[in-house]
Amino acid sequence: MSTNRLNSPAELAALKQRLEKNRNANKTVVTVCAGTGCMACGCEAVLKTFHEERKKDRLENEVEIKATGCHGFCERGPLVVVHPSGVFYQRVKPADAKLIWEQTVKGGQLVNKLLYRDPQSNEIIKHEKDIPFYKRQMRIIFGKNGFMDPTAINDYILLGGYLALATALTKMTSEQIIGDVKKSGLRGRGGGGFLTGKKWATCRAVKVDPKYVICNADEGDPGAFMDRSLLEGNPHQVIEGMIIGAYAIGSHEGFVYVRNEYPLAVKNLTVAIKAARDYGLLGENILGTGFNFDIVISRGGGAFVCGESTALMASLEGKVGEPRAKYIHTVESGLWDKPSNLNNVETWANVPLIIERGADWFASIGTENSKGTKVFALTGRVNNTGLVEVPMGITLREILYDIGGGAPRGKRFKAVQTGGPSGGMLIVEEAQPKSHGSPVAHGDIRNENEAVNLLDLPVDFDELTRVGSMMGSGGMIVMDEDSCMVDVARYFIHFLTEESCGKCLPCREGLVTMLSVLRKISAGKGTMEDIKYLEELSQVIIDTSLCQLGGSAPNPVLSALRYFRQEFLAHVVDKRCPAGVCKDLVSHAIDNTCNGCHACLKSCPTSAIVGEPKRLHYVIQDKCIQCGACYQICRYNSIKRVKRGEGDKLQERAREQWRPPLKKVTAEVS
Amino acid sequence: MTVAVDTKYDLQSKIEEIVGEYGAKSTALIMILQDVQRQYRYLPEEALRAVAKTMKLPLAQIYGVATFYRSFTLKPKGRNHICVCTGTACHVRQAVVIVDKLERDLGITAGETTADGEVSLETVNCLGACALGPLVTANGIYYGNMTVTKVDKMMSEVLHKTYDSETTEEAA
Amino acid sequence: MDKVKIKIDGQQMEVDDGTYVLEAAKSISIEIPTLCYYPYMVPYAACRICSVEARSASGWSKIVTACNYPVWNGLEILTNTPRVINARRTNLEMLMASCAPVPVLQHLAEQLGITEPRWGTDKHTCILCGLCVRICDEIVGAHALAFVDRGANRDVSTPFQLDSESCILCGACAKHCPTGYIKMEEIEKRFIVHQEMNLSPNAAITLPFRQAVPNVPQIVRENCIHFKTGGCMVCSKVCPKDCIDYEDSPKSEEVEVGAVVIATGFDSFDPTPMKQYGYGKYPNVISSEEFEVMNNAAGPTGGKIVMENGEEPRAIAILHCIGSRDHDYHKYCSRVCCMYSLKFSHLVKEKTSAEVYQLYIDMRSFGKGYEEFYGRILDEGVNVIRGKAAEVVPSGYRQHEEGHLIVRCEDTLIGKYREIPVDMVILSTALEARRDAKEFGRKFNISTGADGWFIEAHPKLAPVSTTTEGIFLAGACQGAKDIPDAVAQGGAAAAQAMKLMAQGEVMMDAAYAVIDEAFCSGCKMCNDMCPYTAISFDDAKKVSVVNSALCKGCGTCVAACPAGAIMARHFTDEQIYAQIEGILA
Repeated sequence: MSTNRLNSPAELAALKQRLEKNRNANKTVVTVCAGTGCMACGCEAVLKTFHEERKKDRLENEVEIKATGCHGFCERGPLVVVHPSGVFYQRVKPADAKLIWEQTVKGGQLVNKLLYRDPQSNEIIKHEKDIPFYKRQMRIIFGKNGFMDPTAINDYILLGGYLALATALTKMTSEQIIGDVKKSGLRGRGGGGFLTGKKWATCRAVKVDPKYVICNADEGDPGAFMDRSLLEGNPHQVIEGMIIGAYAIGSHEGFVYVRNEYPLAVKNLTVAIKAARDYGLLGENILGTGFNFDIVISRGGGAFVCGESTALMASLEGKVGEPRAKYIHTVESGLWDKPSNLNNVETWANVPLIIERGADWFASIGTENSKGTKVFALTGRVNNTGLVEVPMGITLREILYDIGGGAPRGKRFKAVQTGGPSGGMLIVEEAQPKSHGSPVAHGDIRNENEAVNLLDLPVDFDELTRVGSMMGSGGMIVMDEDSCMVDVARYFIHFLTEESCGKCLPCREGLVTMLSVLRKISAGKGTMEDIKYLEELSQVIIDTSLCQLGGSAPNPVLSALRYFRQEFLAHVVDKRCPAGVCKDLVSHAIDNTCNGCHACLKSCPTSAIVGEPKRLHYVIQDKCIQCGACYQICRYNSIKRVKRGEGDKLQERAREQWRPPLKKVTAEVS
Repeated sequence: MTVAVDTKYDLQSKIEEIVGEYGAKSTALIMILQDVQRQYRYLPEEALRAVAKTMKLPLAQIYGVATFYRSFTLKPKGRNHICVCTGTACHVRQAVVIVDKLERDLGITAGETTADGEVSLETVNCLGACALGPLVTANGIYYGNMTVTKVDKMMSEVLHKTYDSETTEEAA
Repeated sequence: MDKVKIKIDGQQMEVDDGTYVLEAAKSISIEIPTLCYYPYMVPYAACRICSVEARSASGWSKIVTACNYPVWNGLEILTNTPRVINARRTNLEMLMASCAPVPVLQHLAEQLGITEPRWGTDKHTCILCGLCVRICDEIVGAHALAFVDRGANRDVSTPFQLDSESCILCGACAKHCPTGYIKMEEIEKRFIVHQEMNLSPNAAITLPFRQAVPNVPQIVRENCIHFKTGGCMVCSKVCPKDCIDYEDSPKSEEVEVGAVVIATGFDSFDPTPMKQYGYGKYPNVISSEEFEVMNNAAGPTGGKIVMENGEEPRAIAILHCIGSRDHDYHKYCSRVCCMYSLKFSHLVKEKTSAEVYQLYIDMRSFGKGYEEFYGRILDEGVNVIRGKAAEVVPSGYRQHEEGHLIVRCEDTLIGKYREIPVDMVILSTALEARRDAKEFGRKFNISTGADGWFIEAHPKLAPVSTTTEGIFLAGACQGAKDIPDAVAQGGAAAAQAMKLMAQGEVMMDAAYAVIDEAFCSGCKMCNDMCPYTAISFDDAKKVSVVNSALCKGCGTCVAACPAGAIMARHFTDEQIYAQIEGILA
């Protein structure tokens, strides 16, 4: 794109009109999700196949093939949606691509085996909008992903992109823009949940130049990939938000600090920035209004702590990512001691919507103190994993069951973890569990004093904080009965000890101490004193840590103790891990449902399993190193993780009760 | 691409080229070091000294940055690079079992390189493909839904494709 | 600056807005413990030991670090609530769990009531307070140290753990390290006896010497950080009277005087070339001057006489005539050494229970009370051995010898070879003329003798004057002497100088040179030739002028002047011709 500079809002509007006119609404468009998740599933080969087929049939002018951003339903990738019919194909392999080409694109027929089949109702659903995963969402931000090639700025403009910018620059004053953002009630989507409008107003009021505008794309929470998908799929919306924000605050220089582990996001963002510059939407004299603003991309070096605003700014300055006290806010003195306004990717992406559709519209979504939608990365032990965008106030129940499609392999939900390592584990176990028959079922231990489950908790900033977790950046990890809360707490603390910058004492030394205590408990050597230590230490770490990495580090432990105290007591008092995870406290043993399929024997690294094909197998307890390979591989749920030392007892009983299978048993398909 | 470091003159001019691309701004230090590491597969001492000299920054600052961030390594990595994702979602899907298996098979712990320099094993925090957990990348190629039995197949693919490793892109 | 009202531990006070709590508290004498705080740097707030509780009127309260929390109107600070004490105590216990029980931590532990740290202690001495790195970065500006790695692996190091090329050896990091993890290492081979002999190896601000006049400190440029990196300047921040001027430089002033008294003193002989005594090789062989410094109550050991390892010596040998009365060094006797050696033995006997050995050639106790003092020393039990020491060797040479050093000598009174085991050897070194005496004397047109001492006009009758009028000598520069003699000579020189000034009239030789201005071309040849520096150049008139008070009438300039412009009075050419004619007649 050469001199296509748009010198005024009128030219932008004219371009949009031209694009609309030229667009054939009936033209077939094959959209293939090309986010990192689907890339990892092989969508590139699918794209290649489509291109090859199109070339073979010489249908370049009739059929458009678009590689789009993330569609959200990562569990079912690679995803292909054919427009204008909106037919949704999932789990598409390259060979399937050929079928789609022949049958749907050319033939107008459906390929049934690739359509979505609802696992609960067994219904086949053809269109994206009817799929329960999507139906219950409110995709005001992510909705655009499916229709845009992120590297084509015209696609964005066609969908109304940059019109909000034009309005803001020409028809609104800075105060009006800030007023709108304030009225909308938008709160920071990175985890802090601070009122965005208030932050902008404070920054604007500081009479120091220059001012900086920063986009925090360091998304370090494990299990969170909303920001990545947003930058990969719709970078222009983030850019637009930043320009509007810069105009409101009075800044001319912006930075996007992206994690180094997101190469596709960096690539697409780079392309988008260049395209915006070419169009005169970035750089000098934006849209002929005289406002100058440009964005520089800066990559991170691999440090979770750089998601913290002052550490991010230190990293931008070319130093190590050490945070500093925030007694003086970064909006007053931040990057190079100048006023710096830092917001999360998703926060910036909300801004053009607020300007375009109005603050009142935005404030009509969500709860009283948490407006708008939130994008969550729903992952873990749930059927439908992926990115979901829901209005604030939706309950956990709706997310887990209606959108998430329930727990896979017939297991029971146990906990939902929100907010990453800074958040907490929330109990979502059903009050009356279906009987599972397993001697290590979670149902054996329950904390009677707390609410039995938080399934009906409305998800918003304040509610999540009230129950001992936090919204965080949007990671939502679902755990079932096979997850041990002691192990998960230990996991998070271990993660934080690796990511701690080491500057302040309580985080650096305190987390290491907490980790050693949790490891002790996990190894069956814990005492009641240890649980007391954890609680005491947690309070001091929260009180005296320099930044929120340390300050919120004890949250997973405290929330686990709050909702799953009995599980801790089982480890400490009974020396037993009810979920069967903590290696030193379990023994792997085979019960009488064994099919004799030999799979576990082949997977065992120490040859601890013996058995004849089609006969009952058993685990030699002395040789077993509890690696869990057999548990992973068994399709009949025959491997049981019992309390250490009770393996032989189980296997003796199994020997008495086992009968050879009478007919071929169909395995439970997950 | 070679693991051995260039002659002093070649190194200096290479460093100047890389620094020049970013305008020698201290904001770009991390990106400059990443490019240097991509060039040499690790950060040699001479390269860090050259960066300090070219950017006119104290060597102590460069060294501090190079040891702080996890994307940098001061020791050469193996010819093949295996990353196991240990993000929460993958952990919950038993990624630890995969790590154990790889550690056992390779005879090293995560973060180390085998003695013959062939394979280095690393754990990383969340590659963002949580639906595919447990996830392993080998030389940039994603292997999703890993199980213990799939590990052997992956390793044989990786080791036999050794001659191809220069053409595959790094994912991280 | 606006003032705000705050309350600390119940005490109301008014401070500038934005002051940090720690400073505000200090100004009303409330001490808050710190580990990583240094007043002249940006507060780091890493140790969290200065935690205090901040409360607002609305009832909100939280724990903050006092070193970097800025005050605001209505703030209330509590420095020792149970929550605060618990926070400090737990943090300290966690720190102790990974550090060695160094004094600074133990002291703090006592203050906070920790007797048994719950998680034990470890061996690591660095507490990661960051003072060294920050001082090197912020104040010194050398950037030689950095934090490396992160989290529990965080450490302080130079790049690649090698000696840093940027280090300017200022020692600031070692000085401020609270645990002694960083030490300054002597990288030269020479043992400096008792490291503290100098104020500290690299002190940049020192008193030239204890009795300096004026008795004010000065900045030593070679060691000062500011002159190496442009940074620091902490001294000027501290000085309450603003006395520090970095631009100050030695100024030269021109003063016109009629008389000069030269009292430039002496140098001490450096015994290093005398390898047999091991000076500079063995740690406890010291010179007399070094012993004087050590003995001084204001000195580095507080007046205690100790060996290099800090222990009291069991026996000391004092060797006379080191460099004096020696064919290879100085043939003369330095006059003062015998008496001060006796003084040393008296001091040693007074302060320690060591045996003292005096190895002498002759005991020169010539003055008032000197011989009596010698007798007293003998009564104190000092062993005097007549025989110059031949060699000092380290002990261990033979099995049964005790002590650290052996002094070998011939005791000529009993006619036997002796080996005396001692712990310390004091060398009574010779007094020498100042090394630059010859050059210095040339400026005043006075000469030095073969030994380097300045030559007086007459050794018996004019010991304070020189051959140059108006230049007088006083003190050791004229020859080794002790204090009473030097004082007497000083008085004499002063009197002579005053005589010149009080005279009003100066009687001088009738024969002196006169320059005829009309013929003088201003070539200045005569200025340099005059051995009495009696001719100077008048810049205004552009001619040379003879100072008739200084001129001795030698006639050199008369002969040298190319224009014949100089005439010797009473010795003109006409007068000489007339005399010749008279003789020949």
